[in-house]
Amino acid sequence: MSYSPDEALRALAGSTVPYLIGVRHHSPALSVVIDDLLDTFRPEVLLLELPAEFAEWLPWLTDEATRAPVALAGVAGPGGAPAFYPFADFSPELVAARWAARNGIEVIPCDLPLADRQWHTAAADSPALAVDGPASTPLAESLRQSATGRADEDMWDRVVEARAPGAEPEAVRRAALLVGWAMRQDAADGSGVSALDLRREEWMRRCLTAVDGRRAAAMVGSFHAAALLPTAATLHGSPIDKAAAPANEAVPSSVSNGSTKPGATLLSSAAPGATTPGSATPGSASAGKTEIVVTSLVPYSFALLDSRSGYPAGIRDPRWQQAVVTAAGSPVAVESAALASVVEVCSRVRAGGHPAGPAEAREVFRLAVGLARLRGLPAPSRGELIEALQSVLAHGEVLGRGRAVAAAMEQVLVGDVRGALAPGVPRSGLRPEVEALIAELRLPERGEKARDMRLDPLRSDLDRRREVVLRQLTACHIPYAERTAVEGTGGVDALTSRWTVEWVPGTEAMLDVAGIRGVTLAQATEGVLREQRRAEESELGPTTAQIIDGLGVAAECGLVALARERLLEFIAEVPASASLAELMTALALVDRLRRGHIPGLPEPVAARLGDLPEVLGSLEAAAVRQVDGLAGSEDVADVRALVALAQRVDAAGVGLRLTDALHRLAQTGSPTMSAAAGAVQVLLGLTEPAVLGTRVASWVDGAVADEGRRRLLGRLRGLLAAAEPLLQSGNDVLDGLLDRVGTLSDADFLSRLPALRGGFQTVSPAGRDRLLAVVEDRLDEGTPFHDVADLEPALLLHRLLADRAGRAAVFALGLLPKAEPSAKDQPSSAKDLPSAENLPSAAPASAGAGPERTLSTVDRWRLLLGRKSGSLGKRAGRYAGALDELYGAGAGEGARADAAGRAGREAPFPGVREWAEELSALFGPGIREEVLARAAEGGRRDAVLMLDPDAVNPSVELLQTVLSLVGGMPESTVARLRPLVARIVDELTRRLATRLRPALAGITTPRPTRRPGGALDLPRTLRANLATTRRNAEGRVQVIPERPIFRSRARRGIDWRLVLVVDVSGSMEASVIWSALTGAILAGVPALTTHFIAFSTEVVDLTDRVSDPLTLLLEVQVGGGTHIAAGLRHARSLVTVPSRTLVAVVSDFEEGYPLGGLLAETRSLVESGVTVLGCASLDDAGRPRYSVSVASQLVAAGMPVAALSPLELARWVGEKVRG
Amino acid sequence: MTAAGTITPSDASRSRQIDPAEYAFATELAFLAAHDGSARPPGWRLTPRAVVTFIVGSDGRELALPKGVRPAGVPARLEISRKFVGDRSLVERCVVTLAGERGLLLVGEPGTAKSMLSELLSAAVCGTSELVVQGTAGTTEDQLRYGWNYALLLAGGPSPEALVPSPVLTAMRSGAVARIEEITRCLPEVQDAMVSILSDRRIAVPELSGTAGATIHAAPGFTLIATANLRDRGVSEMSAALKRRFNFETVGPIPDLAAETALVARQAKAALDRVQSTFAVDEAVLEALVTAFRDLRAGRSVEGWEVERPSTVMSTAEAVAVATSLGLAAAYFPGDRDVLSLLPAHLQGAVCKDDPADAAKLLSYWDGAVRRRAEEGARLWHQLWELRDVLQP
Repeated sequence: MSYSPDEALRALAGSTVPYLIGVRHHSPALSVVIDDLLDTFRPEVLLLELPAEFAEWLPWLTDEATRAPVALAGVAGPGGAPAFYPFADFSPELVAARWAARNGIEVIPCDLPLADRQWHTAAADSPALAVDGPASTPLAESLRQSATGRADEDMWDRVVEARAPGAEPEAVRRAALLVGWAMRQDAADGSGVSALDLRREEWMRRCLTAVDGRRAAAMVGSFHAAALLPTAATLHGSPIDKAAAPANEAVPSSVSNGSTKPGATLLSSAAPGATTPGSATPGSASAGKTEIVVTSLVPYSFALLDSRSGYPAGIRDPRWQQAVVTAAGSPVAVESAALASVVEVCSRVRAGGHPAGPAEAREVFRLAVGLARLRGLPAPSRGELIEALQSVLAHGEVLGRGRAVAAAMEQVLVGDVRGALAPGVPRSGLRPEVEALIAELRLPERGEKARDMRLDPLRSDLDRRREVVLRQLTACHIPYAERTAVEGTGGVDALTSRWTVEWVPGTEAMLDVAGIRGVTLAQATEGVLREQRRAEESELGPTTAQIIDGLGVAAECGLVALARERLLEFIAEVPASASLAELMTALALVDRLRRGHIPGLPEPVAARLGDLPEVLGSLEAAAVRQVDGLAGSEDVADVRALVALAQRVDAAGVGLRLTDALHRLAQTGSPTMSAAAGAVQVLLGLTEPAVLGTRVASWVDGAVADEGRRRLLGRLRGLLAAAEPLLQSGNDVLDGLLDRVGTLSDADFLSRLPALRGGFQTVSPAGRDRLLAVVEDRLDEGTPFHDVADLEPALLLHRLLADRAGRAAVFALGLLPKAEPSAKDQPSSAKDLPSAENLPSAAPASAGAGPERTLSTVDRWRLLLGRKSGSLGKRAGRYAGALDELYGAGAGEGARADAAGRAGREAPFPGVREWAEELSALFGPGIREEVLARAAEGGRRDAVLMLDPDAVNPSVELLQTVLSLVGGMPESTVARLRPLVARIVDELTRRLATRLRPALAGITTPRPTRRPGGALDLPRTLRANLATTRRNAEGRVQVIPERPIFRSRARRGIDWRLVLVVDVSGSMEASVIWSALTGAILAGVPALTTHFIAFSTEVVDLTDRVSDPLTLLLEVQVGGGTHIAAGLRHARSLVTVPSRTLVAVVSDFEEGYPLGGLLAETRSLVESGVTVLGCASLDDAGRPRYSVSVASQLVAAGMPVAALSPLELARWVGEKVRG
Repeated sequence: MTAAGTITPSDASRSRQIDPAEYAFATELAFLAAHDGSARPPGWRLTPRAVVTFIVGSDGRELALPKGVRPAGVPARLEISRKFVGDRSLVERCVVTLAGERGLLLVGEPGTAKSMLSELLSAAVCGTSELVVQGTAGTTEDQLRYGWNYALLLAGGPSPEALVPSPVLTAMRSGAVARIEEITRCLPEVQDAMVSILSDRRIAVPELSGTAGATIHAAPGFTLIATANLRDRGVSEMSAALKRRFNFETVGPIPDLAAETALVARQAKAALDRVQSTFAVDEAVLEALVTAFRDLRAGRSVEGWEVERPSTVMSTAEAVAVATSLGLAAAYFPGDRDVLSLLPAHLQGAVCKDDPADAAKLLSYWDGAVRRRAEEGARLWHQLWELRDVLQP
């Protein structure tokens, strides 16, 4: 270090050749004093730190009709990162340029021209330009530490801005120069000044040499100021790399390497006032080939100027900065500006529904001013203002009130001022740029007809670029191209895309709108996407789906920097809060990214985004965590997700946790999920197939009663959805089932048949065909002609004749035993019974089964698979027909393959009544109800009416089925159903009530507390302490109260309030019913007021129906999305005494709206003192199906989440109320 | 005990397990009072700037007394130690809040030195940190306002003599700072007793109405520091009315690994000094301990890997407790076992408090972050990884 700070400052401030003004791009403090400084120095020429290409815009920039904020933008060459120079009234450069224009002083932009290649090499490292100095450095750090120690504070703010009000202009200038010098010193001592900066400074020095002889004021970044001193090489401590600087270059006075592009874009030409026109092009010596530079002047807005908007070269809280400029350096004016802001923030907070009155405003102001005094500042600066606002208003809450305060602060301090260009400013910016791009990519231009394009971006580079441009235009909401969905072969991702492209009048209009966000398409797109995210954030934060989508869109638009940012957000948020389905989407997206399947980010670029395998790993881990939340699911889609996940994780070799989760799931899950988990265990090689085979057999055995059959159905669905190939490969898994189907008696088999058939319905018809083939194959082993019914009669006859001829031949040779076979028996029996039952070679089981077993094994399989029913015998055919009525031939792959065999069949049942009778006759009445119920479930409304109210076995499932149909029925039909529903509901309520009542007993009796508190009960105390009464010396009676008795506040149980907030969003039917039943019982408890709120995306308050579960249930409309926050908000409006209010939310917690809102609602309920409980499910099994991640965040917010049975809920209520 | 002058430090020679701030740092306080003689808010012993210096230290520099000022027993030059590791601006806000006689509420996760900060603040501002109410579910209004000496009350009726003042009332009379620890543990009704005190700055005693003692006014300088935990079991929420009467400062966990390690080492060492033992736990072991605490607290490892957060609060105070136990084990059972081998079991003790699932989370931390660090070649972490069996039930 060759200079001490004092010496350096003396050299910098004392310099007149040139006169140095070190600035930051936005600095109200300097802006205020610039006019004074320049008036004092009276320069003849003013050098500004701007690339030379912008020279031509300067007259427009300083035009009186141009209203700030505006921005100068320049892009060098195709694909170059745009340089952005926003100007506001608090930009010292703009103030100086205006001063120069007023006084007729020449302005020379002295920064390195954008055409220089050095910009590009730097841009590759970091796309953000015009940011001076490194962020954190030892010297700067120590200066900052001594100032406040706040982490987000920068030294410039502390040393220059905060101290500026009331200071002399010269003092401000010196402070700015000192900060720049300190930062430079740190950079030189640390990582070194970057090559780009050195080259820029070299250029500036050359510009200075060019104006030699005239009084020059140089206004450059304060970081660079030291480099412009004559003694620069020693002062900034790092000698200029001579090799890097271009040798023997001419004076950089003119830039004339432009050519006019289509679209009449303005190009930079000679800088004004060039003294040596026509000299060698600067940069050409080193760059070889110079880039074409496109520059534009566009209007800007405060919202974009705020650095949080993500645009480069911004500043925080522009409106506040504007206010400081307006205060013109007077501490009193700054203070009153602060006061005005505080009052406005308070009023906005109040408007947001949170109390914030004048008392708070006064305290904020006092705190801000007090902090400024303590820190020795003339007036509160932005830092003090924000600290004070947060301390007083936010109440330490991040959510809820904290958000309201942050939003108010943003509105007040950022502002929404928009700039405007002076009339007559040449057209520039996005529109010419896009027109050129479209021409270059040979896309339809203005006036051309609509075109249908099929792009293959992974093969052709042109198509790739087109695809990216079209995506970007779509993201900017510019009506130009429309994407047609393309289905890939075999359901995988399509690699090509189809677009309908046309230039419509709206295209132009929207291009102008998007132009404010950037001068290139990529920049504008990035701006639009960032704006979108900001909007999402102000709506209480993006949802997980929006985060995943945000990454996808950024990647498809080829915005690497944005995609990288989004990926960071993605990594932080998605594993923590996504549901399983969202995680699978996220996994697919990252997979595509990694393989380079996204046109915007080809593989090498995508690899730069971050450690994608690592991301995949954490997503997989998160997905595994979600597995516990599947325990209660009955959904086949969840099973498929589980299998897909298991296979992924298994391939990655990190399945420890999954193994554990699968084990638990197999033990405790719903029938569907436990079977699926079992199957996955076999797939992963954790269990032997034979074990599963045995278990499958036991399921069949156990399916005796109604409940068991229902379980069998669920389990088969889970098993088959997870592991259809396991069965098709015909290994040990099939054995158990094969054996049971073969050996059960007819009656047993038939009673299980509907359940079995329902289970196998999960498999596609073609899959069932394959399965049937396997079964036939297995049965054929050793019994080649086991199933004669399969054969064509002609062939059968042929074989029969051949058999006979053979037998006759053998008989003739005397090789057969004596017994003469009756030649006529066999054909006739084959006719009567199509099965091979009576053949000697029939399955060995037939011996034991005897007379009960008349259906052949193969027929049984055909029945339960629902395939080849045409070749069944007459009796079996009736069964098949009765069941086909329910299931049909199925849908999907191979559905029509069997149609030919059924073509000739007449319609079996004219109506449901006949069908029901047939079912009754074939399967018996118990099964009849079961099949009819299932038919009802499948949407056969008429089947419901056939159910006999007295015969049905009341169950929640049946009720669920019936209720799901009620919504679509005419009132007259509903009236006929009422008795049925009423009986089921009555029965269920009665059963539940007997179990719940004990838990609620004693809820009204208050418990005496012995805690001393409240007022002293004098009469009782006297009575209790008469024994210790003494007469004192003066003869007065004195009571010595050994046992004081207090009047304890009796708890009044009567005003407790229970709010059941029930999710009716389609996924929750069973819980809805249980909630209604429980609600009805709780409503009967005198101490409680019970509310029932049903919500999906809308909220319905059904409190007036709560005592009558029948009406309540008929009223609830199941379906729609999930908006838990809305439900909670309504619940909050019902709260009168928070400490005596219980809110129980019954939901799967798959919130479809921003999670922030839900957490905020939860917090504010909890904070107000309400006791909140989340029920992941409310049913007797206690098997929840819910989003583990959301639930865990809710737990952190103060809502414990558990899967409860109604009894446990009642106990909880009882405990809370009894205290 | 109702007089205003009873709050001078009492007998300092009594042996205490932990010295309150005004005794432990008596010299520094006296020095700072003499050092900065400029105007101070009513009732304050130090200027606001000196209070800040007292808490965040003098940055390693020695401060000198101004010329001509030399109270007895105060050195001429003194370096003020740093007592609170955290934001300077946070301390500044606290001080300005108190200087405005407004209530200050320090919130944050358990173990983030909120109580220590409130103790330091009150000791520096009014010379005592002993006017304190420990909030529990059993705290009554008597402890926040006033109670009665029932014997006197029954014998002589309500009189100022029968009135038993609370620490808050004492602070009001003397213009001092009263502290309420864990205010959210008090029942909401009890908390609300503070609302009128904070807004009206007086307590009405209806039993004494008509006499001179019917209203007790707060002397200038009286204010209140409360602390509250945001994430803990068994807390009741504060009413909005009460919240509006406080300025909130959120005290966060220590942001820097090195600072936290140093703090843990210092405090554990102090704890061992009290029992006349030397703290013989390796720096690297401490760093591993603090790293594990930070990872589990943040739900994200230093390297950015995802870590499952246990439901227990992993506070610095807990880390100090574990470090102290390790130090004691090394001191009392020297040579028994390597200190490092005790770490997993101690961590388990700190993590598994009430939720059995937390054990699984610690195990998954071992299988995740610890394993990966071991694989990346960190020897210490490799040893820890080999100790995984300790965690398995």
